[in-house]
Formats: sequence, structure tokens, C-alpha cells
Amino acid sequence: MSRLALAALIVAVLVAAAAAPLWVSPFYVRVLQLFFFSAALAVAWNILGGYAGYWSFGHTVFIGIGGFAAAHFVMVFGTFGPPPFSVVVPILVGGTVAGVIAAIIAYPFLRLRGIYFAIAMLGLSQVVSELVNNIDWFQGGVGVFLPPSVPADLPPERFYYYLFGILLVVCLGISAWIRHSRFGYALLSIREDEDTAGMLGVPAEQYKIAAYIVSATLIGMLGAIYAYSVGYFTTDTLFRIDFSLNMIVYALIGGIGTLFGPVIGAAIMLFITQLLLSGFLSIHLLITGLIVVAIVLVMPNGIIGSVRQIWERRRRKREARPAGAAGQGERH
Amino acid sequence: MLMLLFLQTMLNGLVVGGIYSLAAIGFSLIFGVMGIVNLTHGVFVIAGAYGALLLWNGLHIDPVLSALPVGLMLFALGYVYQRTIIHWAVSRAAIEASLLVTFGVAMVLRNLMQIFFSPDVRSITPPYSFESVSLGPLQIDLVRIVALGASLVLLLLLGFVLARTAFGRAIRATAQQPLAASLSGINISNVYALTFGLGAAFAGASGTIIGIVQPFSPSSEVAWTLNAFIVVVLGGIGSPSGALIGGLLLGVISTCTAQYVGANMTNAMMFLVLVIMLLVRPQGLLGNAFGESR
Repeated sequence: MSRLALAALIVAVLVAAAAAPLWVSPFYVRVLQLFFFSAALAVAWNILGGYAGYWSFGHTVFIGIGGFAAAHFVMVFGTFGPPPFSVVVPILVGGTVAGVIAAIIAYPFLRLRGIYFAIAMLGLSQVVSELVNNIDWFQGGVGVFLPPSVPADLPPERFYYYLFGILLVVCLGISAWIRHSRFGYALLSIREDEDTAGMLGVPAEQYKIAAYIVSATLIGMLGAIYAYSVGYFTTDTLFRIDFSLNMIVYALIGGIGTLFGPVIGAAIMLFITQLLLSGFLSIHLLITGLIVVAIVLVMPNGIIGSVRQIWERRRRKREARPAGAAGQGERH
Repeated sequence: MLMLLFLQTMLNGLVVGGIYSLAAIGFSLIFGVMGIVNLTHGVFVIAGAYGALLLWNGLHIDPVLSALPVGLMLFALGYVYQRTIIHWAVSRAAIEASLLVTFGVAMVLRNLMQIFFSPDVRSITPPYSFESVSLGPLQIDLVRIVALGASLVLLLLLGFVLARTAFGRAIRATAQQPLAASLSGINISNVYALTFGLGAAFAGASGTIIGIVQPFSPSSEVAWTLNAFIVVVLGGIGSPSGALIGGLLLGVISTCTAQYVGANMTNAMMFLVLVIMLLVRPQGLLGNAFGESR
């Protein structure tokens, strides 16, 4: 696909997404809003988990930190600007606080590898959520408010649809830039073999800390927006273990370490759980579990990985045939 | 008075810790031998508790005695589980894939337990459940003593099997060097499946004992998986003695926190210790029982 066609496609998708709330019913706007949120979370998780290979099982800690940081900032300093733009500063503050905390803990945590890193993050999310819940100053137990910031002439679901949509584009943009930069290739080399990468001159330590901070900052901003969309929230609203797990599951289904894999995974899982099975709440867990098991067994590289494998096989078969034979179709 | 309270807290911690140890040994064994973090572990524990509940309600078999039939059931389940799903996942994807597969299976099984047994909290109450024993000025529930005794017996049994029998030797050899073990005539895929079965059996047996000490529900499986992980990180991988030390420490930490810091801080403290331990000495106090191979 040429560059021009790609750009045209991106513009077309963005225009369609921007126009969608005008003709889609409010229920589906809500579903799409949830989709943007989930996909953005998975894309942000994927920067650390997919590219650098450090699977975090507790990324929800940054959702919580972002949300509570935003709320406390508004409580202390008040809001800046009229309603639709008053959300900007608290969201940035939520992201920054999450990023700073990630920077502080990054060095000791990233010395752990594989399963130990995953479980340490899970432990961290539990510790932080219990501290927020039990230390009175944080008010996690009684709950905190964020002032309503939706402009009067816009339905709230549409406002948050656009807000989450913008964040998804930001996350995808950063993820795409990382994927095709020197930084991204270094992260991939860390995932493949950290010791060898270090020996070949990749500054593994700094790069994985940088990936961790970027991922945490994006999740913190998403957490602040989510907190706004809820309005009133307690510890349990934000520090949810299922957020942590969903990020992994979405990335896994679409393809861990690919740019659009997490988005595709989120779309499929939300389509199944929110639309097909909305009437069968009691077996959500069962279906999600079965899908996870099936994906690992049938498509361990996710949907994108499997599709790529099939293309690759076809291409090889075509090239194996004598030149000039029929079937030299267009390349992807 | 203060001293007495401290001693009572320590005693309670050690007793609870013995149960934590037993509940973690299956996880520890599977982790040590195969390198697989079995996130289905908590489900096995809770399934054992429900098995004991069914046997108690239906046939009036004492929960401690039902550890044997329940353990056998879970042994079979664990054996088949490793031979099929776990083996497929590890051979097709990677050892990390086992994390996701066991997690997915845990979700499925938890949901099934919620459907069959309802999500309500249950407990098993044998006739001796309200009696207690005094040790001088200290008080201790009889069920907890029974539970602790059963835990120690089962841990010793496993230690004996691992150290002294041909089967135990095969397990240790496979854990250290799978290739060398198979060259020496050990059928390692069979040893893997048997080890997994053994781990599941101990999880189930611990569940029958947990059932008389604590209330349980399908969703408490997560806590037991995490407890097992903390115990292994504290004590060390793969050995009954490591699990015992880790479990006792965890028990003392949780009761002391509940007593002196606040009951709502126990989980935070447990995970704090976990995180600190991971950062300082990730191989656990006793290290990996199966040597430097991993």
C-alpha cells in the first residue's frame, strides 16, 4: 500500500469516527467509548509488554494513580478554564504523576524478569490500592468527586467518546512512532534476548525504563479521563484487577507486540462480551476464559500474527512457482 | 498482658502459617519442576474444599479424612490437565503461555463453580469446630490444631517421597536436567504429568483442611493462588521445607499485622513483603530446591 493511500485511509477512518456519534444511537456511542478506552489501555500496555516483553499484571495501578491524582489536584488547586477545557490540566497531571511514580519504582522493578516482574506489578497494584483505601488523606474508601465538565450542549457519552477517541489516537501515534524508531527496535531486541542486546550496545536499562514511563503516563491519563467519566469514584472503581487482565487479554488476542493487535483484540472481545453476551452476565468469565485458552492454543501469536503467517506461506508458495506463472497478484 | 497477647498472636500466626504452607506446596512443586506458574492452583484448593463439603453433607465423612479421596480425584484431574492443555500450550507457544492458559482455565472453572455451588460463602462445621484447647494461658481452636497436624503430616510425607523414593528421585532429576534425565531412561513427559497431578492432589487436600478453618467461596481462589506465590517467593521454590518456612512467615506476618497495624492492612503488608522480597532476594530464603539448572 502506498503512503498516499495509507494517509487517505487514516483520514477516512478519523472522519468516520468523528462523525459516528451523529447517527449512532447513544447506547452504541457508549459501547464505542468503552472500546476506545479499552483499546487505548491495551495499546499503552503493549508498549512495555509487547515491545519490551515485560508483562505487567498490575497496570491498573496507574489507572488508579491517574484518577486519584487528578481528583486531588482539582480539590487543592481548583479547575483551570471553562468546562470542556477544564479537564485538560487534571488529565495531564494524572498522567504526569503516574509517570513520575513509574520513574521512581522503575529501576528496582525492572531488574525482575518474566513472571517475577508480572507478579511484582500485581503485588504493587494491591499494595497501592489498599493504601489508597485505608489512609484517610487519599479518601479512597469514602470516594472522591471530579466536577462535571461536560459542555451543556453535548450529551456526556459523546463528550467522553471524543475524549477517549483522542487518547486512543495519541496512544496509537506514540506506539507507531516507537515501533518504527531506533528506540522501538532496541525494545524488540530486549524482548528477544536482553543480555545479548546489552552486549551489542543497546542501553537496555534506560530503554526499558523509558518504555515503562511512557506506558505508565498514557495509562495515568486514561485513568484520569475514566475517573471524569465516572464522576464519583472509590478505590474499587479504579484499582480493578480485571482492568489489568483485560489489557493483556486484548493485546494477546489481537497480537502482542503489533501496533494494531491490541485494538483488534479489544474490538473482538468487547463485541463478544458487550453485544453478543450482554444478556448472559453469569457466564462472561467462562466465555472470556475459553477464548483466552483457545487463542493461546490455536493462535499463539494472536490474530495479526496468524494472518501474517498465512500471508507469508502464500507468498513463499507463489515465489516457489516458476516465474511468469499465473497468480502473480498484488502484494500486500 | 502485652507479652501474652504477643505470644497468642505468634501462635495464631504459626498455626495459620502451617495451613498456608500446605496450600502452597503443590504450586511450589509444579513451579520448581516444570517452571510453570499454575494460576489454576487456587481453583484446585477451593475445589478440594467443595469436595470436602459435599462428602461431609452427603456421607458425613470427616473433612480431614476426605483429604484422601479428594486428593485422588484432583490427582487424576491434574494429570489429565497437564497431559492435554498445559502440554499443548507449552509445546505450541512458550513456557509463558502456560501463565495465560492456566489463567483462562481458572476463569472457566471459577465460573463453573459459581454456577454449580452458587457464589455464596460456605463453610464446613464438624462437631469439634467450636472446641478449643488451652496451652497454659494461651488458647487455640481444636480445628486449627487438627488442620496444622494434618498439614505437617502431609508435608513430611511429600518430603519423604521426594527424598527417599525412586519416584521422588525421578522428579528431582527431571527438574534439574530434563535432557539428562530422559537419557537416563526417565519418561519425562510422564514425570511432568505425575508431578502436576501430585501438585493438584496436595492443593485439593489442603482445600479440605482449609474448609474447616475458614469460610470459602468460588472467588476466594484468587487469594489462594496469590498466597501460594507469596509463600514460594518467601521460602524458596520446590521444597516442602521452603514452603513450610514461607508459609509460617506469611502466617506470622498476617496475624501480627492484623493485631498491631490494623486488620484492613494485612493484604497490603503481605504484598509489601512480597515486593520487597522479590527485589532483595527473588530466589527465596532457601533458594531453588532443584539447583542451578533454571
